[in-house]
Amino acid sequence: MNREKYRTAIDRLSFSEDFETRTIALLREKAQPAAEKENETMKHAKHIRTLWQTAIALCVVAVLSISAYAAANWLTPSQVANRVNEPTLAKAFESEDAISINETVETGDFTLNLAGLVTGKGLKPLEQNVDETRTYAVLSIQHTDGTPMTVDDMPFSTYTLTPLVSGYAPWTINMGTLDAMVTLIEEDGSLYYLLDTKNLEMFADHTVYLAFFEGFVPNSNIFTMGEDGTISFAENFTAPHALFELPLDESKADPDAVSALMESLNIPDAEISD
Amino acid sequence: MLSVKGDENMTSVGTNEAIERIVREYSVMLLRLACTRLASTADAEDAVQDVFLTLLSSRVVFRDAGHERAWLIRATLHRASDIRRRARQKDLPLDSALQVEASEGISPDADIMAVVRSLPEKYSAVIHLHYYEGYTAKEIGRLLGLPAATVGTRLSRGREKLKKILKEDDR
Repeated sequence: MNREKYRTAIDRLSFSEDFETRTIALLREKAQPAAEKENETMKHAKHIRTLWQTAIALCVVAVLSISAYAAANWLTPSQVANRVNEPTLAKAFESEDAISINETVETGDFTLNLAGLVTGKGLKPLEQNVDETRTYAVLSIQHTDGTPMTVDDMPFSTYTLTPLVSGYAPWTINMGTLDAMVTLIEEDGSLYYLLDTKNLEMFADHTVYLAFFEGFVPNSNIFTMGEDGTISFAENFTAPHALFELPLDESKADPDAVSALMESLNIPDAEISD
Repeated sequence: MLSVKGDENMTSVGTNEAIERIVREYSVMLLRLACTRLASTADAEDAVQDVFLTLLSSRVVFRDAGHERAWLIRATLHRASDIRRRARQKDLPLDSALQVEASEGISPDADIMAVVRSLPEKYSAVIHLHYYEGYTAKEIGRLLGLPAATVGTRLSRGREKLKKILKEDDR
């Protein structure tokens, strides 16, 4: 099969003539009710900060086993950044402002290790390629039984890594609205997600999560949100998943930046602090 | 709400203009991409429509047009694979799916499409993005969040698999 033959085959595919018109009409119809529904959701999503949420130490929650897995064989976040040709970011991961986490969770056939992150101030001294308005984090994955993994084991269309914030519905504030992208690499039988997202420190007076799950866009079949804004996986969601809480410094919270973000997203800022 | 930054004004997907722009700009590209996973164009249309609906409801913000395109491509591949998996769970064998395609007469080049669809997604996606959309390995890497070297390997292995399948078919 050559390129021209393939192109011809694709060009000959025939779709409904009215697909675009029909789709535009459907989206317009859905747009207004969706906005109204979201407003209602946010009205009820009052965030109540609790003592445990203010703890700096990282907790890992979910219906998962938590192990003291010795992750001596993981690459460090700095090494991961170097592997994807981001030497400046690699330096940031080695800086004093980088946050080392190194927490491990087993789910499904996988052992996940949230290695660490660097955000905001930690990136400020760097001049190029990294953005101080961003947060970068590294999540490592291995098969729990020790069999080597390749990137083929973690199809981009099957698994998702996304930041979430308590008090904001997962289907509202997630990798989409937080402008998050991931790069996946393999090294010596382990996989590494390098997450690049909006600066999460602005939400530091909330519980900020990093969620890994089988699926794509967060929805109510995957996540639930308690009345106090706490996010968790739905009880009947049995696919591989993990929810890490990020140990952000609460003093770095920037409610004005959050309000600006919400305004840009046309989301009413329903966050209510205690 | 969907927005794209980088323009002077961020545009909400809730506006008629934004909805129309996204659908007009990406529909054909995404429908063709979905057909690398789905035998029926009707299924491909469902998949792409679902992606647009997800986009509308998930309030995605894109940093630029490249990010927007990458998100739509990933979402389409995800939704198409999801539909395909569900069809398999309903015990609809792939061969049957191909018969559906033939009966619907969606393409006189059904054989080529069937061969591409028979490849694992990791190969069919990069082959399509390279050979049809014209992206380089580096560009595909950005779109799919993979190192360019991995994309290169997948292109190479995908090509080998295609050759092998086509040779077997010629016998």
